[in-house]
Amino acid sequence: MAKSENGVSRRNFLKRSALLGASALTAPYLSRNSFAASRDRVTIFHSSVADSIHPYNHSSSPIYGNWQHVMEPLVELDYDKKDYVGVLAESWQFQGNRWTFKLRKGVKFHNGAPLTSKDVAFSIEKMRDEKGGSLQAPNFKDVTEIQTPDDLTVVFVTKQPLAIFLDRIENRFILSKVAGDKFGDKLYDNPTGTGPYKFVSYQRGGNMVFTRNDEYWGSKAAIKEVVFKKVTEDAARLAALESGQADFVNNIPVHEVARLQKHPRVRIDQVEGLRMFFLAFNMAHKPWDNKLVRQAANYSVDAPAIVKNIFDGIGYPCNGPVGTNVIGADPKLKRYPYDPNKAKELLTTAGFPNGCDIQLYYSAGRYPKDREVCQVVAAQMVKGGFRVELISQEWALFWDKQGVNGGRLPFYYIGRGTLTDADTLYDQYFRTGTTKRTNYSNPELDKLVEEQQKTDNQKKRVAILHQAGKMIMEEALFIPLYNLADIYGVARNVVWKKRPDEKVLGWDMKIK
Amino acid sequence: MLSMRYLKIWVGGAILLVLCICGVAAPLLAPRDPQAQTLEDRLRPPRWAENGSSAYLLGTDNLGRDMLSRIIYGSRISLMVGAATVIFAGFVGCTLGAVAGYFGRTPDEIVGKISEIFLAFPFLLIAIAIMAFLGQGVGNLIMALMLSRWVQYCRVVRGEVLSIKERDFVTAAKALGGKDWYVLVRHVVPNTFASVTVIATFGMAIVIITEASLSFLGLGVPVHIPTWGSMLSEGRSYINRAPWLTIFPGLAIFITVFGINLLGDGLRDVFDPKLRRQR
Repeated sequence: MAKSENGVSRRNFLKRSALLGASALTAPYLSRNSFAASRDRVTIFHSSVADSIHPYNHSSSPIYGNWQHVMEPLVELDYDKKDYVGVLAESWQFQGNRWTFKLRKGVKFHNGAPLTSKDVAFSIEKMRDEKGGSLQAPNFKDVTEIQTPDDLTVVFVTKQPLAIFLDRIENRFILSKVAGDKFGDKLYDNPTGTGPYKFVSYQRGGNMVFTRNDEYWGSKAAIKEVVFKKVTEDAARLAALESGQADFVNNIPVHEVARLQKHPRVRIDQVEGLRMFFLAFNMAHKPWDNKLVRQAANYSVDAPAIVKNIFDGIGYPCNGPVGTNVIGADPKLKRYPYDPNKAKELLTTAGFPNGCDIQLYYSAGRYPKDREVCQVVAAQMVKGGFRVELISQEWALFWDKQGVNGGRLPFYYIGRGTLTDADTLYDQYFRTGTTKRTNYSNPELDKLVEEQQKTDNQKKRVAILHQAGKMIMEEALFIPLYNLADIYGVARNVVWKKRPDEKVLGWDMKIK
Repeated sequence: MLSMRYLKIWVGGAILLVLCICGVAAPLLAPRDPQAQTLEDRLRPPRWAENGSSAYLLGTDNLGRDMLSRIIYGSRISLMVGAATVIFAGFVGCTLGAVAGYFGRTPDEIVGKISEIFLAFPFLLIAIAIMAFLGQGVGNLIMALMLSRWVQYCRVVRGEVLSIKERDFVTAAKALGGKDWYVLVRHVVPNTFASVTVIATFGMAIVIITEASLSFLGLGVPVHIPTWGSMLSEGRSYINRAPWLTIFPGLAIFITVFGINLLGDGLRDVFDPKLRRQR
């Protein structure tokens, strides 16, 4: 056998590398217990973690959750109160076309600099910098000017009165201007905010690590270190949770829930999600221009049965035009009951005594169990007197100008994500001329939508949204179906505050 | 006569015959409408298992549809797609192969190059690409499978024709004044039938599996037509909880392909002169 100069034979080399390889493979399993939830660190495997170090280069709820560890917004939506609460802003006022925010006193950035109105103006300038890579600029499209009359006051001047501005400003996080001046182009490599955690490291498609900010202005977090890891494969996240590599994972598939509930290490937590699923009509197409036919369709779809049987009951049928967690949801509204005979009667009155031919479009694989859902909907509608042809299209085709957004699809299955305010849905789908998705036009409804957008009193605004919701149900502008649950797998010793917006926040957690 | 020599043909043929009867008489044989959903009865296990219902021999699927009826109806698509593809691909492939082999030169060059292009792509990949382009549908599926299968016939027939056209009886036919096309169709092509039959049977088995694969990937026939492949695909997420959703369509595919392969094997034994002599 040939020996090399330093005396390692090929066989020895192979033996050693085999040993090394084997130990490298087994090590994570042996050290499993030390890797599991210690009191000081929580490891979160999530399907969606920041894709870039640029904190404004996205507009996605789970990624807002990542950055919110380091940087904070002016206001935040409190899902229990269904209203906005101040974070960096102490109070705010809406008058005419001006929004005035008073900042909290004594808040310090991680670099020691105090929070001032200059930081807010600086950060918003960065958010509006689309060339610099920001994807959050559209939130300020109605803002004409930002004034900073003193260190703790910020004024936003808008083109017209904009009652829903808090919704736009909700996830806009504030960076330190001092850090901006110091780091210049390298600002985003050194994210400096006021948050309960400090930034430690980021690897693209890898880890994002935060450590507790002990000088935080609010109540301090219980867990010292938070590690996010992006794992897109469902099975891989599950395996990590079961083996103890991860303490917290998102998106557990519905059909795995029953099995995991028996797992000794794992608890399953469900939250009503903010993605709402519905069947939309395009009212420029026949027969959907006819209100009676739309009502018949509503009577013939049994959403509770779909939730019960397809999603094993893990879902929340809508009782009105929006889910219960949404601002503007009216608890008094009821969905159309399942009544195929009533549907047939309505169809007969509408001039379709022998049934009505329709096509139902969907994009298979886009949403959980969409193929099964649409098959059940089709079968249910057949009982209500419709003859349904199911057509699945590639998402790009389905969604683009050839499809939904070009007004080409008469009837389709769709989910609207992160729906926190009914205004978003009403404005986007039912206001005259906003999109071609439904091609609906009703001056009365338009008036209500416009009116609530100008109303500064939240209670009054919600009352107008209730009115609009009632009108939408009466006119049967779509078939609201359900909100699904966000299903999390959590190590049993981790306690956290559930939230419906897909954010996972380290300071809302504790390890027992 | 059930001699050992023909055993494979008999068994394979019998399986295929039963399947054909299933496919043709599906409305008579199936106990229920394969589309009818009974959501309350979803995921019922087969009759003999615990909790099984006597109403559903093979249980029900995730939407409460009768598995047995769906499998019986599913045989229609499998057999139809299999047979149609074999016939069309066989016709196109044999014609081009015969022309290329018999006339040689330019026709041979052209056909050769085209078939090389088709051979360069993996078979399933072409089928996926074509389906994505054409959209779902039984006709499109047959088209896609045919486009990816004809080359094999073309190659085999061309080779056979090359050797047959040098044989004495072809020279004799030409000497007697036979025109090229007449000689080709009347004397050359019929002599390739033995090999074509064999690759056609094996080809059918492959086509059935490909149809199932494409349906599994969601690129096969529209969702309301039951096929074994789409049943497998839909049952996949229930594999822990309701294994019968995947076991029965899987078995159906297995038995069909097994039967056809047996038949093909038997036919090859009969046609192969070398094997014949050895016996």
